[in-house]
This record gives sequence, structure tokens and C-alpha cells, in this order.
Amino acid sequence: MTEDNAVKEVERETGSGTDLWSVIIAPFIWAAHFLVCYVGAAIYCQKLGRDADLGDIRLLVLGATAVALVGIGASTFRLWRVRGRSLTDNDFEYEHDTPEERHRFLSHVALMLCVLSAVAVIYVTIPMLYLSSCR
Amino acid sequence: MRGHMRRGATTIAKVSALLVSAATLAACNTEQSMLHPAGEDAAAVNSLFWAMAIGAAIIWIIVMGTTVYAVLGKKRPKSEKFADRFILLGGVAFPTVTLAALLVFGLALLPDWVRADAPDLRVHVTAEQYWWRIAYEQPDGSMVDTANELFLPQGQTAEFVLNSTDVIHSFWIPTLGGKIDVIPGRTNLWRLKPTEAGVYRGVCAEFCGPSHALMAFPVIVEAQADFDARLAREAAPAAASNDLFLATGCGACHAIRGTEAAGRVGPDLTHFASRRTMAAGTLPISAENLAAWLLDPDHIKPDVRMPGYDSLGQSERDALVSYLLELR
Ligand code: HEC
Ligand SMILES: [Cu+2]
Repeated sequence: MTEDNAVKEVERETGSGTDLWSVIIAPFIWAAHFLVCYVGAAIYCQKLGRDADLGDIRLLVLGATAVALVGIGASTFRLWRVRGRSLTDNDFEYEHDTPEERHRFLSHVALMLCVLSAVAVIYVTIPMLYLSSCR
Repeated sequence: MRGHMRRGATTIAKVSALLVSAATLAACNTEQSMLHPAGEDAAAVNSLFWAMAIGAAIIWIIVMGTTVYAVLGKKRPKSEKFADRFILLGGVAFPTVTLAALLVFGLALLPDWVRADAPDLRVHVTAEQYWWRIAYEQPDGSMVDTANELFLPQGQTAEFVLNSTDVIHSFWIPTLGGKIDVIPGRTNLWRLKPTEAGVYRGVCAEFCGPSHALMAFPVIVEAQADFDARLAREAAPAAASNDLFLATGCGACHAIRGTEAAGRVGPDLTHFASRRTMAAGTLPISAENLAAWLLDPDHIKPDVRMPGYDSLGQSERDALVSYLLELR
């Protein structure tokens, strides 16, 4: 590790937690959002028939998307403090097997999952902006 | 080991033969080609295809170029910051944005059913193993029954009311638009707007049994006046009745309007001989083909829902054939 890295090392939060919730919270939000959207739309269309306009359920989907993105954003913000500064430097040396490294590794994974989940949530939402009826 | 290699070689030979024949087929036969759109939806899908194909080619070239550069290029290390940016932009942001753009492009092609106007024409299509029951809805609500051949007026929006009586089929006229599954117990609606006059080919696009590949239909797009005349002719009763046809029991399955034959199991034969094909796009109509059909339809279409008539004498079958050819 270079001198430069070692200096910056101090700036970030250190810890030893291996809290798995913080790793899966973003994918969990993604899954919940997915279910709310699909199950919600399925029930809505079952009740109102195939010709129904999607107007009301679109609001539900957009609302769920806002909540999901805020949730994922909060998780991202929390993880940012333990972030690895670079994708490519030798920030990750896993050969030490210390609690600190485990914590950092899991936080990095969680951060990546936040990005993935945010993209997925947005992708789930996009079709709703284009569909007009239950058909 | 040798055997493996030989099998590998023949596979390659087969695949290239397929590719070559596919290329030549695509070049000379456009009646069933999505790349020769003759309808609004097909034109949209065609532009989506070209956008995707060209975009994919460009991305492929860039990725391959980068790979070649990485392997053969000057090995001067880049900065860490550059590497980070490269991965974030090229590996995360670019695919995300590109896929979102493709999603939006594709979604924008979806029909807007809520704001759609009433169609100009409604056609009821029922898919059955292995043929198509077709009925044109007239302005007064009455139906004109026919089968295995579809006429559409050029420039008009036709709405298809699709049902199946047995298994899942799929209704697809590649030159006019996308396909839609035809599902037993469910009525699917589908709209197509042909823009170019011509003769095309529709197919069943969902495997439905041994004769699935023999379940097609000619599609004729023509000017509105020609279509109207055609529909009037189609609505008229048959040219003649035939005692042998009735006595043999064909009428239990086939309807010939204007005669006692009123069966609903098989295709309506009222104007059978005016069609371009027989047995759902399988053969051209001719005395020989009809004679072979009556003798052993299962030989022509495996698992067909019509019995063979080898029990009849040759002269009776000939008489039936000449009667069928009269039904213009
Ligand atoms: C058990 C019912 C049944 C009987 C009886 C029957 N057919 Fe058929 N026939 C069918 C069915 C079903 C088809 C459609 C086959 C297919 O294309 O999959 C058919 C198809 C045909 C066709 C081709 C129609 C088209 O649109 O291309 C002709 C012609 C025909 N039958 C003539 C006859 C004659 C003549 C007789 C009497 C000798 C007869 N059929 C008896 C069920 C029957
Ligand atoms: Cu089929």
C-alpha cells in the first residue's frame, strides 16, 4: 500500500461488523418493490378488467419507486463512509483475514448491490410509464 | 476422439449450410420476411431490429478493439483514476443507459389500447389443430365464414379476435407485424394495419402438434374496393350442392353454405376452390392433391382431424374432387 493510500486510510470509518442485513437490505428493497408493483398491478387488473386504464396503479408504482430509491439511497449513504476509494487499487487485500477487512469487503459488496438494486428498481418502473391499460 | 472431431466438423458443415440456405431464402422469398415490412407494426419492428443490429455491431467492434488494444497495444500503465473511470463509465454507466434506452425504444412501440379508435374491420380467427377458422364481421354484425385464407383491405386497421379450441397456437403474419399467442379459453385482441398490397404468408408460431409446421395461411392485402367485392363473393352461397358429398358424411364436419352441409368440425368449404392453397397453406389446390388428400389426409398432415376415404371407390373420390373444384 502506498504512502498516499495509507494517509487517506484514516479518513474513513473503520469497523468490524459483519452485519449481513446491511448487505442484503438493497436487494431486499428491490424484491419488495418488484412484488408491490407486480402483485399490485395483477390485483388491480383482476378487479377492473382488461380494458382498465392503469392511471391509479401507476401512482402506486411511482410511489413505491420513490420509497425504494430513498431506502436504497440511505443504505448507500451509510456505506459510503466505509467505501473503498477505488475499484482497482490494492485497497482490497484479503489475505489478512481480519475483522476490519471483512467489514470493508462486505461494505464494498453492499455498496455494489445498492447500485445494482437502484438500477433494477428503475428498470422495473420504466414499463409502467409506457403501458396504458391492463391489456 | 476422432469421432468427436468428425461430429464437430459435420455440425459446422450443417450450420454453415443452414446459414447459407437461410441467406438465400431470405434473399428470394419475402412473403414471410420481417425484413420486408408491409404493415405499420412490421415497419416499427424492422427499424427496431436495424437499430439493435447496428448498435450491437458498433459496440462489438469497440469491445473487440479495446480487447485487441489491451493485448497487443503498448503496455504503458494508465493511472488508477483512469482505470476507475473506465470501469465505471464503460462497464456500469454505459450498459445501464444503453439497456434503458433500448427498453424505452421497445416499449414505445407498444400499442396504446386506451386511446385507440375503433378498428375499420374486425376478423374473428379461431386456431384449431391444424388450420384457421376465419370469420369477417360485417357492419350489421353478421359473420362471413371462411378458412385458411385471409383478406385484408390496404391501409385499414384490422382487429383480430383470436381464440383457440384446443391447444396454444400463435398468430403471426411476419410482413404485417408481431405475433400473439392464441390461447384456449381466452380471447386475445390484436391489430394490424397493412400498408402495402401483396400476397403474404401467415403462420402458426407456437408448436401445437405434429402438423404445426403445416398450419399456415396466405394473406392477401388489396385495395378496399377489391376487398369489398371479395367479401361479397365470399358471403354468397356455394355454386352447387352434391349428393355424394352429403351421403359420404363430409357435411357432418364441413359446412358448404347454401347446401345441407353445415358441419363445424372442419374448414368451411363454400368457396374452397377459390383459395390459393389447401390444408392450411400446405399444398396448392389441384385434382391430384385433392385426390391424395381424400385418400389419406394423415399422410399429408400427420395427426390431422379428418379421416381418410380409401373405403370409397376411385370414381367416387374423383367425383368428390371435381365437386370440390367447382366450389369457386
Ligand atoms: C371428422 C370430420 C371430417 C370429415 C368427416 C371430413 N373432413 Fe375434411 N377436414 C376436416 C378437418 C378437421 C380439416 C382440416 C385439416 C387441416 O388442415 O388441419 C379438413 C380439411 C378438408 C379439406 C381442406 C380444406 C382447406 O381449407 O384447405 C378438404 C378439401 C376436405 N377436408 C374435404 C373433405 C371431404 C370431401 C370429406 C368427405 C369425403 C371430408 N372432408 C370429411 C374434417 C373432416
Ligand atoms: Cu398451431
